[in-house]
Amino acid sequence: MEKVSYDAVVVGAGLAGLMAAHEIASAGYNVAVISKVFPTRSHSAAAEGGIAAYIDGNSDPNDNPEYMAYDTIKGGDYLVDQDAAELLAYKSGEIVMLLERWGTLFNRQPDGRVAVRYFGGQTYPRTRFVGDKTGMALLHTVYEKTSGLGNVDFYFEWFTWELVRDDSRVRGVIAFDMRNMLPVFFKAKAVVMASGGMGMLYRHSTNSYINTGDGYAMALRAKVAIKDPEFVQFHPTALYPSDILISEAARGEGAILRNAKGERFMARYAPKKLDLAPRDIVSRAILTEVKEGRGFPGGYVGLDLTHLGEDYIKERLALAYEAAKSFAGIDATKEMIPVRPAQHYYMGGIDVDITGRNPDLIGLFAAGEAACVSVHGANRLGSNSLLETLVFGRETGRSVVEFLKNYTEPSSDIDNEAEKMANSAYDIVKSESGVHFGEILEKLRDVMWDYVGVFRDENGLKTALSEIIKLREDMKKMYVLDKSKVYNTEFYNALELKNMLDLALVIAHSALNRKESRGAHYRLDYPERDDQNWLKHTIAYLRGNTVEITYKPVKITKWKPEARVY
Amino acid sequence: MSLQNEEMEVVLKIKRYSQDKGYWWQEYKLKVDRFTQFTEALRRIKSEQDPTLAYRASCHMAVCGSCGMKINGEPRLACKTLVIDVAKKYGSNIITIEPMDYYKPVKDLIVDLDDFYQRMYKVKPRLYPHKDVIEGKAEQRLKPEDQRELWKFAQCIWCGLCVSACPSVKMDPEFLGPAAHAKGYRFLADPRDTITEERLKILIDSSWRCTYCYMCYNVCPRDIEPVTAIKKTRAYSKLTKDKTPVILTGEKHSEAIFNSLVETGKIEEAKVYLNTYGLLGSIRDFIYLFQTGKIKYALVKEKPVENISEIRKILSGDNK
Ligand SMILES: Cc1cc2nc3c(=O)[nH]c(=O)nc-3n(C[C@H](O)[C@H](O)[C@H](O)COP(=O)(O)OP(=O)(O)OC[C@H]3O[C@@H](n4cnc5c(N)ncnc54)[C@H](O)[C@@H]3O)c2cc1C
Ligand code: SF4
Ligand code: SF4
Ligand code: FES
Repeated sequence: MEKVSYDAVVVGAGLAGLMAAHEIASAGYNVAVISKVFPTRSHSAAAEGGIAAYIDGNSDPNDNPEYMAYDTIKGGDYLVDQDAAELLAYKSGEIVMLLERWGTLFNRQPDGRVAVRYFGGQTYPRTRFVGDKTGMALLHTVYEKTSGLGNVDFYFEWFTWELVRDDSRVRGVIAFDMRNMLPVFFKAKAVVMASGGMGMLYRHSTNSYINTGDGYAMALRAKVAIKDPEFVQFHPTALYPSDILISEAARGEGAILRNAKGERFMARYAPKKLDLAPRDIVSRAILTEVKEGRGFPGGYVGLDLTHLGEDYIKERLALAYEAAKSFAGIDATKEMIPVRPAQHYYMGGIDVDITGRNPDLIGLFAAGEAACVSVHGANRLGSNSLLETLVFGRETGRSVVEFLKNYTEPSSDIDNEAEKMANSAYDIVKSESGVHFGEILEKLRDVMWDYVGVFRDENGLKTALSEIIKLREDMKKMYVLDKSKVYNTEFYNALELKNMLDLALVIAHSALNRKESRGAHYRLDYPERDDQNWLKHTIAYLRGNTVEITYKPVKITKWKPEARVY
Repeated sequence: MSLQNEEMEVVLKIKRYSQDKGYWWQEYKLKVDRFTQFTEALRRIKSEQDPTLAYRASCHMAVCGSCGMKINGEPRLACKTLVIDVAKKYGSNIITIEPMDYYKPVKDLIVDLDDFYQRMYKVKPRLYPHKDVIEGKAEQRLKPEDQRELWKFAQCIWCGLCVSACPSVKMDPEFLGPAAHAKGYRFLADPRDTITEERLKILIDSSWRCTYCYMCYNVCPRDIEPVTAIKKTRAYSKLTKDKTPVILTGEKHSEAIFNSLVETGKIEEAKVYLNTYGLLGSIRDFIYLFQTGKIKYALVKEKPVENISEIRKILSGDNK
């Protein structure tokens, strides 16, 4: 197997990975960025509505970063580490202005300063945006900027398969060049996992097809914990039936949710915040309306933009308008858009602190959706994720630089180990007959949607667990029909499925374990939040078919938990 | 909210490719409904019928640029195209899917985009702001109208469709191609950028190599007009110091035709040009150049056509 060496390897070329890579390379270290897709095709491109930021002198005069931290903590149902929320809030203005200087074409106020809009759960409006293609605009900017640095090598259309470690520290990753299927051992002093989310685990998801949770699974197999795995966010307004996101910006700009009777039903669920209540609350409200017979046939409700006026819709909500038109044949200036909840974001992730360091494995860092710094707690506020990718991408890059400054060479040799790990990829698909990834995948997505979705209970979660364990058995009989070495997507889909099953097991198990309702984790059999017993982070390890759970306290600085009413 | 669904059985004829076997066509039958995107149809084929089929797709919402291909011969994003719409448009439930033209094939619908990326990198696709701005000592404000103008060209998702459809790219190795010009112009026109001279060196010569056929605009899924970016870039010609022969000829050509049009409403000596670009295209071009004041003109003796005053009106931009 070929080997290459770098100071740092970053897995993932979304906003978090690129930002970390930019920081490390700017300090003079050599970085390899590995991505399954060309960087601008990363999922970050799909982010629509905006990025939250308190900018000094360019925010509501009553606003300040303390309110921003508070909104984030309350939105996250107090499972947020408050030091992380404060860092996020205090660095938000600076990071948005940095991106502005790098060339992101933020929408402007008439006086030339960056404009703002409202998003769910915000006391004051603080979401900055580029039409409703904010993620695309940011991602292109950071990619263009980072690709101009000399010491970053991009390996795109390379599939990272395993994290290589010795007893205590990171030694690199194994990745396949997708064009010829050859494995390469990327030796590295530090590894940053910035591999994004996992939406493909669910039947309905707004995520890109490539979001298969690879990073979480690699971490789990390297004996690294996932923090708060049970917290999966569902976005209330995915277009029916294609699950394309209709950005929260729509409600931020004044769109109203209505049931089949035309009622503004959010008045029943969040009388003060109405349609701008956080996502978990609105998702449950929609599904309750549908369950109680007030939805439209097929199971959706309407998102009404019509009163906003054609010009306004076309400028500020272009993508929502375009999506409704292209994918549902609806003219949003005249009719309501059909919407229902779909999986959207993963609050759980590789356990890291506010410096991006993982406590289980020396040299392992994580950032973005792959990580759980715990800034989103039990439920992420809209437009806080793009902010997190950049703020913590940069913080993580900085701690990698600190780490590299004090680095000492390991004495042990790891090459044989790495060779074995590369071969393990072929092991899972060695059979000459059996099942294909598609058969298992489609079942998994239904199981997760039906039993580990918006509403959960003990029976359902137990069913999910036994189903997932069965699917993991089936996985052993998996084979690959395509025997070619050139761009063998079937092979990579099979590896992704293995990753999805590893993660699914951990999610279902942790969800069964947490006997309370908090944020996005809603248990019909335990509908109340229980701070007495459950104000703590789940820390989950995977050992074979068993999930081992320990706990970590939530970091509380200023804000005592209070009832979460909107 | 009138969501009437329909179902239809379609046959997707996919042009496949492998390095060992070369090209072959393969047919897949599947049921689609009113909302089925081509990416979803492909995904279902792959997970339910034939896992060996290879294609690229990521966002399924027309922002990542992964899924460019030819559908019934038209260059399209697969995710932005609904199967039933195509079946209806062509009055047939048999639909062909092929890889994009121009690029080297890799496997099935996957093509090698390295050539495309090289084109994009050549235009230095990033902002070079003033040092004080980078250091945070000065703030740069951007007028909302400038933001809007630049954003029109900044929305390129690097899908490569326009390049696959551009005739000049195939014929002229010196031509950067439509997407790179859109990107290049986005930075050239940014009032905050500081490397204008270098950008001109990269862009101007190439900008005179476009044939104004508008194919790039026709296929762009993001409604970007690379050809407008190219026109606007040409208008910077006068600012370049070292003019290449292509720039000089281009400028002279435009001038001559423009003059001839002002004078007589006819173009005599530029038959070649006309044959290539068409009268309408040329007029639009000259109106632009004239409005930006980049074209000097001298009078050429010609007998005016009858409605010359109308033509002059168009040329002076009164038709706006
Ligand atoms: C439709 C939609 C709209 C959204 N809108 C907003 C919004 O308006 N505001 C907001 O704040 N947030 C929004 N979000 C959330 C936000 O977009 C994401 O959380 C964020 O972009 C994640 O960025 P990332 O850098 O962590 O990962 P990603 O951008 O997902 O990047 C992951 C990277 O990892 C690579 N990768 C993964 N696995 C492997 C592997 N095995 N080998 C090699 N490479 C691998 C991928 O190729 C990719 O480059 C939205 C999300 C969705 C789904
Ligand atoms: S107008 Fe110019 S750039 Fe566009 S396709 Fe035609 S030749 Fe190519
Ligand atoms: S200009 Fe349009 S067609 Fe060309 S690469 Fe960009 S988005 Fe694609
Ligand atoms: S899949 Fe992203 S553009 Fe089609």
